[in-house]
Amino acid sequence: MSKNFPDGLSLRLFRCVGVCLLIIVSSALGAAQSRTRPDTPVLISEDGSTRALSVNPYRWRGKFPTPSQTVWTSSDETRVTLFLTNLDLMKGEGANAFRADAEDANGRQFPLTVESLTPVNKYEWIYATVVRLNGQIGDAGDVLVRVTWRGMATNRVRLALGHPGGGIKDDEGATPTAAPLVPPKPYQDAEPNQLGFGAQFSGDRMRFMEQATFGPTADLDLRLRRIGIYVYMGEQFDLPYPGIAYPVLPPQTTQIPGTCTGDCIRDNYSMYPLQRWFFQDAVYGKAQLRRRVAWALSQIFVVSGVDTQQPSQYLPYLQVLDRNAFGNYRTLLGEITLNTAMGNYLDMVRSTKTNPNENYAREVLQLFSVGLVKLNPDGTPQCLEHNPCQAGDTQIPTYDQNVVNGFTKVFTGWNFAPPQIPGITNYIDPMTLVPANHDTTSKLLLDGVTLPANQTGAQDLNAALDNIFNNPSVGPFISRQLIQHLVTSDPTPAYVGRVAAVFNNNGYGVRGDLKAVVRAILADPEARGDVKTDPNYGYLREPALFVTNILRQFNARAASGAAGSQSDGYLDPQTIAMSQDVFRPPSVFNYYPPDYIVPVSGIKGPEFYLMNTSTALKRTNFGNTIVFNTIPATTGGNTNAPFGTSLDLSEMQALAAADASGVQLMDALNRKLMHGSMSAQMRSIITTAVLAAPSSNPLLRARTAIYLVATSSQYQVQR
Amino acid sequence: MSQSRRDFLRKTGCAALSMAALATQVKHFGLMSALAQEKNSGDAVPSDYRALVCIFLSGGNDGSNAVIPNHSDLNISNYAAYNAVRAPNGLAIPQASLLPITVPRINNLTYGLHPNLVELQGLYNSGKLAIVTNVGTLVQPLTRTTYQNNTVPKPYQLFSHSDQVQQAQSSISSTRSNTGWGGRTADTSQGLNSGAQVPMITSVAGSQLFTSGAITKPLAVNPAPTALNQLLTLTGYDASAPAAARRTAFDQLRTVDLTSNVVHAAHDVTQEAINASNALNQPDPTLTATFPNTSIGNQLKQVAKFLGIRNTLSINRQIFFCQLGGFDTHTGELNSHATLYTQLSQAMKAFYDETVAQGISGGVTTFTLSDFGRTFLPSGVGAGTVGSDHGWANHMFVLGGSVLGGNFYGMNTSNGTPFPTLQLSGPDDTDNRGRFIPTTSVDQYAATLATWYGLAAADLSTVFPLLGNFGSNNLGFV
Repeated sequence: MSKNFPDGLSLRLFRCVGVCLLIIVSSALGAAQSRTRPDTPVLISEDGSTRALSVNPYRWRGKFPTPSQTVWTSSDETRVTLFLTNLDLMKGEGANAFRADAEDANGRQFPLTVESLTPVNKYEWIYATVVRLNGQIGDAGDVLVRVTWRGMATNRVRLALGHPGGGIKDDEGATPTAAPLVPPKPYQDAEPNQLGFGAQFSGDRMRFMEQATFGPTADLDLRLRRIGIYVYMGEQFDLPYPGIAYPVLPPQTTQIPGTCTGDCIRDNYSMYPLQRWFFQDAVYGKAQLRRRVAWALSQIFVVSGVDTQQPSQYLPYLQVLDRNAFGNYRTLLGEITLNTAMGNYLDMVRSTKTNPNENYAREVLQLFSVGLVKLNPDGTPQCLEHNPCQAGDTQIPTYDQNVVNGFTKVFTGWNFAPPQIPGITNYIDPMTLVPANHDTTSKLLLDGVTLPANQTGAQDLNAALDNIFNNPSVGPFISRQLIQHLVTSDPTPAYVGRVAAVFNNNGYGVRGDLKAVVRAILADPEARGDVKTDPNYGYLREPALFVTNILRQFNARAASGAAGSQSDGYLDPQTIAMSQDVFRPPSVFNYYPPDYIVPVSGIKGPEFYLMNTSTALKRTNFGNTIVFNTIPATTGGNTNAPFGTSLDLSEMQALAAADASGVQLMDALNRKLMHGSMSAQMRSIITTAVLAAPSSNPLLRARTAIYLVATSSQYQVQR
Repeated sequence: MSQSRRDFLRKTGCAALSMAALATQVKHFGLMSALAQEKNSGDAVPSDYRALVCIFLSGGNDGSNAVIPNHSDLNISNYAAYNAVRAPNGLAIPQASLLPITVPRINNLTYGLHPNLVELQGLYNSGKLAIVTNVGTLVQPLTRTTYQNNTVPKPYQLFSHSDQVQQAQSSISSTRSNTGWGGRTADTSQGLNSGAQVPMITSVAGSQLFTSGAITKPLAVNPAPTALNQLLTLTGYDASAPAAARRTAFDQLRTVDLTSNVVHAAHDVTQEAINASNALNQPDPTLTATFPNTSIGNQLKQVAKFLGIRNTLSINRQIFFCQLGGFDTHTGELNSHATLYTQLSQAMKAFYDETVAQGISGGVTTFTLSDFGRTFLPSGVGAGTVGSDHGWANHMFVLGGSVLGGNFYGMNTSNGTPFPTLQLSGPDDTDNRGRFIPTTSVDQYAATLATWYGLAAADLSTVFPLLGNFGSNNLGFV
């Protein structure tokens, strides 16, 4: 069937189908490489057409080559075997690493369920995959079917539902992808996950910085080029922190000294110093990965400054997150539980055996550890009827009210530690037990475990937190959310499963090693690669990341633009306008819910919760502020922004001056901001606008281009 | 209030108590609705404009301290029953401070509103405010027995904030839904709004499930004091040719790279903002009422401004979403309620007054929703500390010129009134902490509002798929 193409050519063609961009990038680098490790899956078509090679799994006997069935019934019960190639599976990687969807002639997309994946006998480089159709599609005629794997999409092939034809057009450039009947040549194995190591430019290296830091910088890119991502992560794990020293704050007080007014209150008794510190450390600090992971943890183990109000109560909480970001989850859980800001926020500090308060018990289970529903090792929910769940199935709750009651009793009796300063509540040290206030009756925990009566408060607490920690849902529950914060909003179950397996055991028998979890997240093949073509891949940059990425890309400095100056970090007003008031989320449910579904679109996109008609234009207008203007230093007695913030656009301006065609400028922005993935159309649209500015004004040309890239959805979505 | 109006209210009570066959009932309520509008001479009903305004009390409002028995009738829960559970920890509102209201539906007994709901008492007494009691998420009707036996399906993840917020907003309590009942109502009502310059739904409180339909996407805008013409503006474009070219490119960029669904979704939101920005680029209308400078006051003020420009927006049906946060009162409930109820009451009154001034009070119905009610048994002890934990059934307020106010509505509880029996481990409790089981589903409450809004009877089961599980499609309060 591959008689139309010589073998090597057909493989190259396959790769071109979905990822012409990749070719553009690699040819731009002049890298005429031979076959590399496969990363772009290919859906096999019939010979000479773009119609899927499809067979009925109930009738197919595994013989290959095989004649293709052409028309299918559209129903939830219909299963179709399709054929994939150009895969390079890891051990244990199966159906849950793959997703499939179909698009009809009206542009509607429907998810299909990938049920199995097996190599074809004697043609091990080809995989038969059983896909379950979606009855909602109806009698649509031809639909275009796609499979995704590790963030990469296949070519789309036609599948006839109900009847053939119906007017849907092939994707531009689509060609037949007949089955390769001779095995592919072995590939030359570049160091896996070290793509870009040594290369002058690597899209993957830029993507890594977007995932592991608050934004790529030229200096960091140079360093990563020399040392690779593993060594970098190793460095980061051990780097002293914070990069910018924590603000020095007076202890929280109920009585602010009468001599302290105005700026004194702002600097000592509001969240202002912590918010400025956060942005300064995010933009300039060296311990980027720790700051990034701690930022993610602050959105899982949420305490809101709206409630704590005073920063000296909040800082010890942030320090728990910083200290344990690369530590063990169990230690983190223990320290968070006894942290006074958390104790105050979720009322544990007030919970006694006579007046128990459920708040912490409920939220530690629902939000910080196991979640509401029992999870499989790959993070998919467990249902009573089927596993994996099917539509209409009943998900199995992880716990019920009796368990909440049990944990409520566990958490009774803890209170503020004795004051360090007489008369001032101790918000620094962990809470301590007041034994008389602890409920000593027996307590029902997770998984049917019951704590015996008459244990001490510390015994109960340790046993209960161990009970949580050892629940099998914790690994996938926490891993999935960390992936969402760092890499992509809708990771495949296989990705979640790989990371959760590391959570469960870091390779040395240790459970809960967050350092290993972070490494697993960032090194995973679903995270790595120059380009990701899965249509659902990536995340909308949350406001804080949107702002810091632009700042770091263009060497942010004070509004004066003085060499060596730095932004004052007074950036929270910018992100507030986009609905993210740093360290002041509206509730324990964070700025946005992790399972948020984008209305109408239907994709998973937590950060979209913050993007609406109002904030969308605020994001655009931030681009105008920072690219065409500055965030000025405040004047006239207002010292909120002592130095202001501006970008250094000199490099882009020089490129615009050096090349009146705009090519160099666009090349640079494509690499810098889009890690080489800018589409030809996007480039063309922006180039037209750039050339509309006079060549005598290269700064305007540079600003035009940067503004258009930075405010585009293409940039605001990190993918 | 005229004598005939009192007659009406009594009839309403009787009708709801007997809950006759569905068809008869809907017809009956339809009649009453028309007559009631006639009686409310101060409330003009615009020929073809209707708006629903949701005020979501975020965190789970403890309705048990908003609406309190203020009588000593021994047959149903009276003030003493309330006081017995709530006083020991210091959560009881003193009887002397309650704002009395008469409830025709419950034998004209006196109930009391929280002392900070001053304006709502006035609106209740003037027949503009109705109270729908013991409302909550339900899959099917439940009793204490069937709840404890697990013989009847319960709402998905009871007592969890995130899930119960979603279900209050989705009106589908059996599962997670990707659409809200406001959004689905809008999906099926688009035909009433042809030529409208902005989407049917406007949120002044960000993204909310309530506002999302299968095809409906909301406009989200900032509250007052932001002027209408400052809500959706792009900065940085002057009249120069390069700026014009940049603007062209800015718009064109949203037409490419659609293969990424994530990029496409971001494109769409920005495009909707651009679409609406021209329509909103107009001066603020003059408002008559004075709105309190509070979060909810400024949200309702912005809604009032939208009402004021409804004609230039060429819009006939609108749904608005506002939110007042801070109701998750595990602790410090007394202080929180004093502040929040004052804000709520003053803002609702100002908003109602403004609709009267605009001559559309009969076309605007404002209603509350919340995550859930709270445990009747307090948590913590002492005036500064005491609060309550996550519960279930709750009381809702409905306000407007078309509302048949001055009464309680909803399905009866086991005691033969729509008000729950305030007894721990009693007939309406799930367990022993006073998590009362709702008797009226969010679906019924919502369907009543949506029907008034213009949702066709034939579309009810599409928008409210579980509605058929309950006895009545229309609670008759509007």
